[in-house]
Amino acid sequence: MAVVVQLTYEMGKTLGAPRIEIEGARTVADVLRATRERFGAEAARFDQLARVTAVAVNGVLASYKRGQKTAVADGDTVAFVKAAAGG
Amino acid sequence: MIKGYAGRVLEVDLESRRFAFQPLDEETARLYVGGKGYGTRLLYDRTEAGIDPLGPENPLIFATGPLNGSVAPQSNRFAVICKSPLTGGIGNATCGGSFALGLKKAGIDILVITRRAERPVRLEIDGDRDAVEFVDAGDLWGKGTYATQELLPKRFYHAVIGPAGENLVLYAGIVSNERIAGRTGVGAVMGSKRLKAVSVKGSRKLEMDDPEAFKKYTKHVRELFADHPVLGSSMKRFGTGGIVNTTNARNILPTRNFQKGHFADAMQISGEWTEDHELKGVKTSCIHCPVTCGRDVEVPGHGVVKGPEYETLALMGSNLEIADIKKVNEWNFHADDQGMDSISLGAVLSFAMELGERGMLATKLHFGDPAGITELIQDIGHRRGLGADLADGVKRMAEKYGGHAFAMHVKGLELSAYDPRGSYAQGVEYATTNRGGCHVQGASMYLESVGPLTINPQNLRLKADIPVVQQNLACAINSMVLCIFTTYGMIPKAVHEMDPDSFLHRSLRFALEHTPGALLRGAMSVKGKPMMWFEKWLTYITGTTFSSGHLQEIGARIFNLERMYNLREGLTAKDDTLPPRMLHEPIFPDQTSGHPLDQLLPRYYRNRGWDADGVPTRRTLERLQVRV
Repeated sequence: MAVVVQLTYEMGKTLGAPRIEIEGARTVADVLRATRERFGAEAARFDQLARVTAVAVNGVLASYKRGQKTAVADGDTVAFVKAAAGG
Repeated sequence: MIKGYAGRVLEVDLESRRFAFQPLDEETARLYVGGKGYGTRLLYDRTEAGIDPLGPENPLIFATGPLNGSVAPQSNRFAVICKSPLTGGIGNATCGGSFALGLKKAGIDILVITRRAERPVRLEIDGDRDAVEFVDAGDLWGKGTYATQELLPKRFYHAVIGPAGENLVLYAGIVSNERIAGRTGVGAVMGSKRLKAVSVKGSRKLEMDDPEAFKKYTKHVRELFADHPVLGSSMKRFGTGGIVNTTNARNILPTRNFQKGHFADAMQISGEWTEDHELKGVKTSCIHCPVTCGRDVEVPGHGVVKGPEYETLALMGSNLEIADIKKVNEWNFHADDQGMDSISLGAVLSFAMELGERGMLATKLHFGDPAGITELIQDIGHRRGLGADLADGVKRMAEKYGGHAFAMHVKGLELSAYDPRGSYAQGVEYATTNRGGCHVQGASMYLESVGPLTINPQNLRLKADIPVVQQNLACAINSMVLCIFTTYGMIPKAVHEMDPDSFLHRSLRFALEHTPGALLRGAMSVKGKPMMWFEKWLTYITGTTFSSGHLQEIGARIFNLERMYNLREGLTAKDDTLPPRMLHEPIFPDQTSGHPLDQLLPRYYRNRGWDADGVPTRRTLERLQVRV
C-alpha cells in the first residue's frame, strides 16, 4: 500500500502518468516533497504548476485540516486541485 | 415603453390558429425584468392549479429580457417557462444559441403559445410584417434536431424539438443551434402541442437609454473577460469540461450513480483531454459571446458535432463508470439530436444500472460497460421497450421498480453533477430550488468546492446563507436573460493567481467563512450604484439604476413567486429534501452520515422569510410585492 497522488492534467502530462504512488509518506509535506522529486529535472515546472493548486486529502482540502502537517496514511488519495468553473 | 424592451407580447393559439400582438406590461417588467421572472408571473396568473402539464391548458412561454439583442457578452439567451411534466411544479430552462436574438429582432419580448395544434406544425413569425404563418411540419416530424435545423429556412432563427419532445419524454428539451433548454421537460410540453419548431425573423434594433455608455463599457468588459482566468482562459481552452479534474479531486464527481465521488479514470473524460485528443479545431459560442465554451468533436458517422459539457461528461461518463470519451461524445450527440436533457438521461441510465445490479430490473446495462447505450438512447427518444420507462425519469422509475434510496432526484428533477455531501451549500440549493435538483439556479458550489476562493464546504457556516444570495442572483440573471457563467467573472484575476497556501489567500478565506450570514446577505442587499457589468448594462439599457441590492430584491421576488406556484401545485416542505443516499450514506472518511440538511433547512427558511413549513409569510410577500 502507498499514498496515491492524483496529479493535475498538466503535471500528469509532464510525468507521463495521471497519478503516482508514494511510499512511506506520513504528512502532506512528505507527499509534496516526494512528488517534486519525481519531477527530477522538471522540478521547476512542478513548482510552477503547484503554485496555483491546493492539495486535498481524500477530497478534503489540507488547508481545512493542518495544512502541510496533515497526516496521511497508506491508501489515502492526495490530489492537486485547480480552481475551475463550469456548469 | 421602457428602453431595452420591444414592448410586445405575441400570443399564438395553436388550436384556432389565431394570434395577437399585445403590449408588454410595464409594471410586470419593472418588477420581474423579463425572461424567467416575467414568464413565471404570466404562468401563475394565466393558469389554474392542477392543470395537466401535457394538456392544452399549459402555456409554453418563450421569454427574453432587456439585455437580449444587445452585443453584451453572454447575453443571447432565452428562457422557456411552463408547468413541468417532470416535477409537476414550476418548469423552466434557459438556452443560448441565437433564438433570443431572433425574437428581439422581430420585436417580441415574450411569446406565449397556447393550446394544441391538430397536426404537427411549425410557426413562422415575421416581426416586420407582424405575420405568423402556421406551416405544416409533417415532413419534419420524427427528425432529429440537427436534421430539422438543416431543413429550415436560413433567414430565420429557430427553436426546435427532436423525437424526444414529440414522444413526450419527460426530460425533453428545446434546441437552438447547438444549445438546449434542457431541464424540466419543456420540450415535452412543446411536443404535446404538436409544435415542431418556431422560426422567427425581423430587423428591429434594440433601443437603449444610453447607447454610448453601453458601447464604451462593453468594450471594457470584453477586455476584462479576455484577461480573466476563467472566462478568457480555462473556459475558452477546456470548456466546462475543465471542471472534471477539480470535482474529482474534491471527491464530488458523481461516480457509479453517486455511490462514490472519485473516478480513477476521470482524466480521460476531462476538458483538458478533449483539448489534447478530441477537439476538431472549432470552439463555438452563442452569438456575441467571446467565451467560446462550446467545442466541436467528431462522432463517426455523424461528422463534426457539438462536444459534451461538464454535466454530460460526469453524468454519462464517471457516473456510468465510462472513461471512453469517444462514447460520451457519441451519446451526447444522440441526446442533443433526440432533443433531451443529458443530465436527466445520464441519471436515469445510472439508476437503471444500479437497479439491474441489485436484481430489481431485468437489464443488460452494467456500470463500466458502454454496450447497448447508443441504441437505448434512441429507444428512450421513441419510447420503445425499456426506453419507455426510462423516458419518464428517475422518480417514476423508482415508483415502478423501487430503489427510492438511490433514486437521484429532487422534486423529480435529476441531480446535477456536484455531490452535495462534499458541498453543503449546494445541497441546500438542490433541496430548495423551485425547479428541483439543479446546479445553475445558484451555483453555490463555486464558493465552496470548485472556485478560486472557497470556504470549507463541510461545516454549517454560511451554508443556509450562500444559497439565498446565489439563488436570488441567478433568478435575476435568468430574467435579463444572461448566461449564469457571467457570475464566474466576479472573482477577480488577482485572486485566481494567488497561491492558495499564501497568507493573503488564507486570510481572505477566513474572512469570508467567518462573515456572519446576516452581514453577507445584508451587504448584498444594499441598493447603491451599479458595480458589476450586468448591473451597469441593465442600467445603461433601461435607464433605471440597478445595483446588487436591486437584483437581490428582484431575484427574491421571482424565487418567492416560483415558490408560491409550487405550493399551489401541491408541493410542500417535504419536497425540500435530498435523495436518501445523500442524507444517510457518508462518502468522506471523516463523515458518519450524509448531508446535514435537517440542521440547515430551518435556518434557510428563516433567512427567506418563510414560516417553519416553508411557506412565505404574508409580510415577506408584501415586502417583495409578490401578488398571489
